[in-house]
Amino acid sequence: MAISKPDSALLILGHGSTENPDSSHPSWEHADKIAATGQFSSVHCAFWKEEPSFRQIWPMIEEKEVYIVPNFISEGYFTRQVLPRELEIKGHTSERLGKKVHYCDPVGIHSTMTDLLIKRAKEILDPGVNLNETTLIIVGHGTNLNKKSVDAIKDQVAAIKATDEPFGDVIDAYMEEAPFIADWKTLTDSPTVIVVPFFIADALHSYQDIPVLLGIETEITEAASQRDVFRQNPYHMGDRTLYYSSAIGTDPSLAEVIVDQVSYFDEHYRS
Amino acid sequence: MTLAETLENLLPLDSTLRFGELRLSRSAKGLYRAVHSRNEASEEALEKLESLKELRELAKFDANNEYRPLKTAPTLKCGWITECEDSADFIGRLDAVYPGLFATWVAYDRGELTPVSLRNTLDRQTGMYRFAGTINDQMANRIMREVCSPGCLRKIAWPIDDQCAVSRIKPNERYIPALCTEACTFAVSTARELVKEAYDKANAPE
Repeated sequence: MAISKPDSALLILGHGSTENPDSSHPSWEHADKIAATGQFSSVHCAFWKEEPSFRQIWPMIEEKEVYIVPNFISEGYFTRQVLPRELEIKGHTSERLGKKVHYCDPVGIHSTMTDLLIKRAKEILDPGVNLNETTLIIVGHGTNLNKKSVDAIKDQVAAIKATDEPFGDVIDAYMEEAPFIADWKTLTDSPTVIVVPFFIADALHSYQDIPVLLGIETEITEAASQRDVFRQNPYHMGDRTLYYSSAIGTDPSLAEVIVDQVSYFDEHYRS
Repeated sequence: MTLAETLENLLPLDSTLRFGELRLSRSAKGLYRAVHSRNEASEEALEKLESLKELRELAKFDANNEYRPLKTAPTLKCGWITECEDSADFIGRLDAVYPGLFATWVAYDRGELTPVSLRNTLDRQTGMYRFAGTINDQMANRIMREVCSPGCLRKIAWPIDDQCAVSRIKPNERYIPALCTEACTFAVSTARELVKEAYDKANAPE
């Protein structure tokens, strides 16, 4: 959605990583794309585990009005606790160091994510694969720190099931809570399985950890940017065929989702 | 005064400044340049980096292609130059190499940024870092000595706790101070490791 905020800054928040160089990449890509449109006076990124950190960002922003969009998948531990605490903001709109700060919804709960997940699942399949004999698994992190963390994924599974898409089944699975993605062979009984990581980046979890849990790698590999080959779908494992996509957050259209979350804020939360 | 105007004052026409591992200069005609300070002898042979993306990629890996999650680690690669005429554009380029470092100094020097004590930072942590705040002063000193001092160019401006006095860092005509106004994720992670190590040691089976 095209909006014009010539006096406002946009701040995109990401997790980042001290171990994987690709974690912050999508946030910067989306930031550069949005900055090039000139819709905002300035566009910034800040991270939990990289620089600029959430604590370092305020002196960098000179505008008096700031829209913050968490480039996070779910409304949970990070978006409800860590981000507001570290940025010293509260509620939808705060005053911070003389700035009016608007805290938008995270990208992962945007309504277009359902279409993106379906698009990503179908685009990695080889021609001729029968969707009726295919199970789509949306995989997330899962954590015992906040029960809402899995809600975004459960909501997407329900939304995909409610469409006309003829997947044999659509289920959710997680790295750190049941149903575990490592059990994908027993969680599904279809000949073909597509796994789409509901993550922001092809980084530590989606590129390095989950492939080991799925059994398509025997040990944790180097980061995606350090390897020549991204993935070589499909993976034939016994009588099953597995397709594994890159993280949903790497889709270039996420830049539009970020801007959309600003529009949504103005329409629904702005007083 | 904006950040761009502050830079223009700190780096007037025909002058140079050190900033972290960089040498910043502004020509008599107003062209800003940044190079690694070890490149001073051979600017013509340097690779020109024009975009923020190129500069971010430069700062991401060291000369051995190891990931640099801490941008003020003393391991910035040599062999490049970036130059432009616009002050705000130049600050963006500096931020790509050292995110927020210039703005941190400006805010601190103006008295708009109060350093946060290590205990304050650690005590507000939750989740896997919730016990980090239980470190003793000996552990805090060990973090500064073994993590901060050798691994980062920033000068610590925060006290261990709010009762400790800490000297205020003054401006310098030859360089822009690289400041740490609050302990970073590496210090917090190390605090957690030290607490865990002490707990495991105290509870080890005999």
